[in-house]
Amino acid sequence: MSRSLREVTLWSGLVLVGMIVLTALVAMVWTPFDPIRVTPERLAPMSSRHWLGTDAYGIDILSQLMSGARTCLLVGMVSVAIAALVGIPLGLVIGIGGDRWWARLLLRISDMLYALPALLLAILLAAALGASTTTAMAAIGIATIPVFVRMTRAGTMQVMTRDYVASARVSGIGWPAIAWQHILPNVAPLLGVQASVSFATAILAEAALSYLGLSTPSTTPTWGRMINEAQRAIYTSPELTVWPALAIGMAVLGFNLLGDGLRDRLDPLLKEVS
Amino acid sequence: MQLPEVTRRTVLGAGTAALALPTLAACQKSNLPGSDPDAERTLVVGASDEPQTMDLTANAQAAIPQVLLYNVYETMVRIDSEGKLRPLLATAWTISEDRKTYRFTLNEHAKFASGTKLEADAVVKSLELFRKEGVGNKAQAAKMSVIESVKAEDPRTVVITLKRPSMLWLYDLAGTGGVVIDPAGMSTLAERPMGSGPFVFDSHQRGSSVTLKRNSEYWGTPTRIDEVTFRYFTDANAMNGAMLAGDLDIISDLTAPESLDQFTDTSRFTVIEGTTNGEVVLGMNHKNAALGKKQVRQAICHAIDRQALVDSVWGGKGTMIGSMVPPSDPWYEDLSKTYPFDPAKARELLKEAGHATGLKLNFRVPALPYGPGVGKFVASQLKDVGIDVRVEDIDFNTWINEVFVGGKYDLTVVAHVEPRDIVSWTNKDYYWHYDNPEFNRLIAEADSSDEATGIEKMKQAARILAEDAAADFLWLFPRLCITKASVQGIPTNSTGVSFDLTGATVRSS
Repeated sequence: MSRSLREVTLWSGLVLVGMIVLTALVAMVWTPFDPIRVTPERLAPMSSRHWLGTDAYGIDILSQLMSGARTCLLVGMVSVAIAALVGIPLGLVIGIGGDRWWARLLLRISDMLYALPALLLAILLAAALGASTTTAMAAIGIATIPVFVRMTRAGTMQVMTRDYVASARVSGIGWPAIAWQHILPNVAPLLGVQASVSFATAILAEAALSYLGLSTPSTTPTWGRMINEAQRAIYTSPELTVWPALAIGMAVLGFNLLGDGLRDRLDPLLKEVS
Repeated sequence: MQLPEVTRRTVLGAGTAALALPTLAACQKSNLPGSDPDAERTLVVGASDEPQTMDLTANAQAAIPQVLLYNVYETMVRIDSEGKLRPLLATAWTISEDRKTYRFTLNEHAKFASGTKLEADAVVKSLELFRKEGVGNKAQAAKMSVIESVKAEDPRTVVITLKRPSMLWLYDLAGTGGVVIDPAGMSTLAERPMGSGPFVFDSHQRGSSVTLKRNSEYWGTPTRIDEVTFRYFTDANAMNGAMLAGDLDIISDLTAPESLDQFTDTSRFTVIEGTTNGEVVLGMNHKNAALGKKQVRQAICHAIDRQALVDSVWGGKGTMIGSMVPPSDPWYEDLSKTYPFDPAKARELLKEAGHATGLKLNFRVPALPYGPGVGKFVASQLKDVGIDVRVEDIDFNTWINEVFVGGKYDLTVVAHVEPRDIVSWTNKDYYWHYDNPEFNRLIAEADSSDEATGIEKMKQAARILAEDAAADFLWLFPRLCITKASVQGIPTNSTGVSFDLTGATVRSS
């Protein structure tokens, strides 16, 4: 892939993500209409007043999409943060542990968690604790931990074979310091890429969960819930399904492109190969 | 105990559309123009809830009598589309002076599909089934528990004595609890239900369909339909698709009223729009300190624009009721104007009750097709009058355990689909915890009176319920049934649980 094409990927990712972040920030202080208040203006078509029309409850679609962006980013950030904060230290420890029995045991446990789909975990949590944004974030976060464990471990194992790690080891520096000073800075780009890709997955998972009614309550607009509500009238007002679907598509595409672009830019391992 | 309608789609059950495709060659053949008039006449009926068993004594699931009642099993008296009692297996009945002894005369021609004559002994044995200890269908058992004794006086006369006079019981006898079962089929209720109706049970393909065949030995006016198949869909759009593709002759009940617009072509489809017994009730927990006050409940009723709610949540289909009585009950009155939409009045009432601001209520919403929509709508309109509603979506099993049985809620919503379920308001331990001695007295008096007085007292009771704002009676579920234009004789209103095909005909060309 040529360098300019790689730049295009990165920049289109940045633009899409930037748009969504900006929308979410604006939605925190202002939306054209109240995104949860029902009005008698049911199923209004697109107009200068309601840019994307209204739904069966007379709620402005654009306002709901904006408010949905907020929830979607919040869930994405918190769940990726949970996954990274638990997964990265664990991956470092397992990577440094190498072939020792406890490292292999920990890796297997992480693999078992990997086999459990986020959706199933969310259904379990929702049944036990009640469906809410918190349970959705926890479920997606926990299900994403193994991804970070594997990624960090792989990077760590590679860095461990370097001479500078060996020399640091010989000069008597402890493992925690080596992990912090030598390993983490080298695997950080890799993890940045992973975070961006996981963000896309988390958005998709949140959309699926709220579509199934396992995430936010019905009074909080989310893209997945908008699709769920529009589905009943899919033959008579199909456009109601299109808008939130487009928003989900844009967000997922944006974070994936950003991840790809970042990898091309930053991944030291990739650079070595080329 | 009345169970609300279980039409929920399970969270992950989206994929049964594929089941809907095969086995249609036979039915399409008969609908071809100019086809042989002697060809098989078949009906394929799309439905959303599949029977778990065919044994209607085992389980209160409405899907079982939907197929069997009146079609396969008959009762001594039945309820027609207008809600009136009509003779079926009994030609006449008399009621004693003390209103406790009923004497039914059976039709002399009546016989079971097996050829056996239908006599009083079979009626006695069938009624005993629901009176046995530990019967699974507790709802029907409770209704039949008022019976003191059932006797066969002679082969054509059944004498039933009640423990106390009950006007409502005769209506119950016209439903599932009153079916007359062929004594030869008593041991095969689950696999091979045997009755005296115009259809006989043929087969049950689990996860897919139930098939009935014509009863060639029928004692009354025989049906002109040779075969009926109830095919089950978990996805409403898949069922609509099958209807549009010509694979179904009837959609028994449109679960997404918004999709009605797909069936406007009158040369292909007939839309039957009637009433049901399904009152969608916004339940208020009378044990909650605020909701125990009548003014607060009245305020809530004034705060909700019910017609707009139906327009948003249920495609505008449904009837405004105002109390727990559907128009097909003899004691129906239009009480829908008791608390018109008036947010200003609502705020005033809340102020009088001392809740001008700061009233917080939780609203536990079951995952049923209308649940989240009602949650969203009601929360928004109550917020407008200053009530802070926290909506919590819960799955239906949690709802049954915690709200319906446990009573842990402030507000909730569910459809009550049992006929004459206004009587559940007399039970102060029911999940609403409504307790009004005056109401209870009227219902008890109505039940022990003759029909005319009883109806008058029931009307008074329904008025009290409305006036008390015991709950907000949001709307009455519509019956939305789609048939091919060639199908006729499907009743307009759904007054019981049966999907009555006894009068159905198909134009063959």
